[in-house]
Amino acid sequence: MAPNTDLSQTLHAWTRRLRLQRALAWSSRGFLLGLALSLGLGLLGAYRARLLQAEFLLLVISISLLVPILSGLTAFFWPIQPLKAARTFDLLFHLKERLSTAFELVQHSEHVPAEIIDRQLQDTLSASAKVNLRREFPLRYNLREGAVALLLVVLIGAVWFRGESWFKAAQRARDVEQAVAGQSTQIEEIIKQIEANEELSEAQKEALTSPLKEAQESLQDNPSLESSVSVLTSTGEKLQALSDPQSQQMSEALKETGDQLAGQEGSPLQSVGEDLAQGNNVSAASELKNIDVGELSPAEQGQLADQLEAMADSLQSTNPGLAEQLQQAADALRSGDTESAQQALDSAAQSLARAGQQITSSETARETASQLQEGAGEVLAAGGGQQQANQGGQGDQPSQGSSQSQADGSGGSGSGKGTSEGSDQTGDEAGSSPIPQDNGPGDGGETSYEEIYAPSLLGGEDGPQVGLPSSGEEDGEVIGQGPTTPGDPGQSLVPYSDVYSQYEEINNQAIENNEVPQQFTEIIRNYFDSLKP
Amino acid sequence: MTELSVDQFREYALRVESEVGKVIVGQTEVVRHVLVSILAGGHVLLEGVPGLGKTMLIRTLGEALDLKFSRIQFTPDLMPADILGTEILTDQDGRREFRFRPGPLFANLVLADEINRATPKTQSALLEAMQEASVTVAQQTYHLAEPFFVLATQNPLEMEGTYPLPEAQLDRFFFKVNVDLPNAQEMVEIMDRTTGTETSSAGKAVSGADIVQMRALARAVPIASHVKQYIADLILATHPEDANASPLVRKYVRYGVSPRGGQALVLGGKVTALMAGRYNVAFEDIHAVAPAALRHRLLLNFDALAEGIRTDDVIDELLSVLQPQVN
Repeated sequence: MAPNTDLSQTLHAWTRRLRLQRALAWSSRGFLLGLALSLGLGLLGAYRARLLQAEFLLLVISISLLVPILSGLTAFFWPIQPLKAARTFDLLFHLKERLSTAFELVQHSEHVPAEIIDRQLQDTLSASAKVNLRREFPLRYNLREGAVALLLVVLIGAVWFRGESWFKAAQRARDVEQAVAGQSTQIEEIIKQIEANEELSEAQKEALTSPLKEAQESLQDNPSLESSVSVLTSTGEKLQALSDPQSQQMSEALKETGDQLAGQEGSPLQSVGEDLAQGNNVSAASELKNIDVGELSPAEQGQLADQLEAMADSLQSTNPGLAEQLQQAADALRSGDTESAQQALDSAAQSLARAGQQITSSETARETASQLQEGAGEVLAAGGGQQQANQGGQGDQPSQGSSQSQADGSGGSGSGKGTSEGSDQTGDEAGSSPIPQDNGPGDGGETSYEEIYAPSLLGGEDGPQVGLPSSGEEDGEVIGQGPTTPGDPGQSLVPYSDVYSQYEEINNQAIENNEVPQQFTEIIRNYFDSLKP
Repeated sequence: MTELSVDQFREYALRVESEVGKVIVGQTEVVRHVLVSILAGGHVLLEGVPGLGKTMLIRTLGEALDLKFSRIQFTPDLMPADILGTEILTDQDGRREFRFRPGPLFANLVLADEINRATPKTQSALLEAMQEASVTVAQQTYHLAEPFFVLATQNPLEMEGTYPLPEAQLDRFFFKVNVDLPNAQEMVEIMDRTTGTETSSAGKAVSGADIVQMRALARAVPIASHVKQYIADLILATHPEDANASPLVRKYVRYGVSPRGGQALVLGGKVTALMAGRYNVAFEDIHAVAPAALRHRLLLNFDALAEGIRTDDVIDELLSVLQPQVN
């Protein structure tokens, strides 16, 4: 075989070995880099409550495998110039520049006699044959890098086992995000339903959808637990404020009247009654307006007058204006003044339509407010342990002993905020409330004071001032306050049994007046039951 | 092309060294450098205190090389014509004419003993012959026989009444070899050899034709481009203004090495490679000849002289700082 060929084969074999060696070295370094990178990213993600435990594991495995593989492949396929490789091998194998000289002679030999070239190539091959590739160029794993890798693996393991609180916090944050996203979607659907409701006027649609759109934007801008609950609660309060408390009674009265009229078959107001019974007040108003008094027989006019009079009686308490117009129509019919009767009937139809729109608007506002309150509860439930996780992240100390629960009990009219403090109260004892219960001393610090949990007057800002029996002061100021746990006498100077009945009464009133969100009523009742002396 | 193989080259060189070793005790590096210089076609300046065997070494080398040898003892009154030769009036068949009578320079191996004792005029005559390998007398040029080597010696101690060689003329010497004091063991051996009844002498090792062939073979030895680049970098790094200059160079060197230094490194490296049994020049060959090739071409400043810094110190540092590059 020609010396050139032998030289090329030798160089090729050594270059392949060099590639393998580089690939191994860079894979090792890539593994270190991957471990360090995954540890850093994992720590960051876990600490910022962005990474679940499974995701952390996936991140570590993927980066720790991907980076060394990429590094190794890159190193293996990295271009190696043959001349540079020859010079490297000269140094590595102590060939005293034989190989690089031979390589250059093969490439450019015009100034050197052929005989010398041949002798030099033979000399190079002879020297190359003495090289023990495995001994001179071993494929070894760097033990120092192995030690560093082991250290990084231990650190990753520590994060995996000791970062449980971080991962739980991430899970809660993820749940909160999903819950908030769900609420945003729900609000969007509610907006669509309101805009599609033909029984509502444009002004009513605008009044109902405006706070919902604002809430939707707020949820998208700041989907945090506190902000979301605040937005949903306040929006619910705004919508609750749009509902007319009397509209429900008016609706019931109209339904009752409708039932009565629907039962009178063949009467002129049967179809009106059927619509009213089904709650289609606007449709009923349209039916009422379509009645042409002039076409009715005297007997039918009399029957109509009786029915109108009955309607007026039924609606007298809830809608006096409508009742009066109905009565006028009835009186005009009885007096044979069909023209006046028709006019009064048209006016009554308009009033009925307005009442129907008002009822629909109120019901929509109330239902939406209720849905938002439920949504706030769902978001709270999703992030129920977030505060604990945050504290665990700061102090990594589980909350125990005394705890403080702050519950935003606003609902109904949106004014029923309350605050309870207990030294021995755990989350379980407080019922199934999703409100965080674990902000106790020694748990790594207290959460910052947030306005949405601010205590307010029972019954809201407009609620009654509650005077507590005191030690004699005129203004009834409470001069002492102790633990409120049942059975714990505390240090209050006010007899517990005296206070309890007043609190319970106010609580019952609040529940009856729908001032407490429906999902919290049972919890509050259980709570007061547990406080009974 | 020469028929000589690298093994023969090595054999001849070792034979010369062996023959010289019969007379000269120790001084193996000196002998090696002188031999390298001869095989590279260069002239050598040997410097050392009196009594170290400089003259003996060169005379022995002349015996071993089977070359026409002549010795010129340089003195202040030595004239150029004394070494070059002169035109003399001859009477032949009634015709009187001037004929050139060659001086002692017309030999293959010339020993210029204590060259710094001659006047610059005579030194210049010798150095011109060294450079051109020819002599011009009375407008007639006479080529010197091949091979032609000048082996000069000088004494660094006695400066009074001497004419130190100018730097430009020092550059003409291929190598400057320092002859150091032998060690105790070598000293005993010297005394044994020179004070007994028997005197040793060197035999003929190689002929002039062999030397010409060896020189041809040495010049054919290839040198890799990165080795040449290293030599170029090394030469440039001896200049204080160069980016690769070492701290000692920056501080103590006045003028760096000329391109002749690079030529000496390449040729010296080639001969050294062949003597090591290789057909190519390695970095270690360059390192081996670098002190001898560079020390007389590197001009130190006054600070270096004041602080006792030698050129060899600068070269050693440069060689350790400037590492061969793969790229």
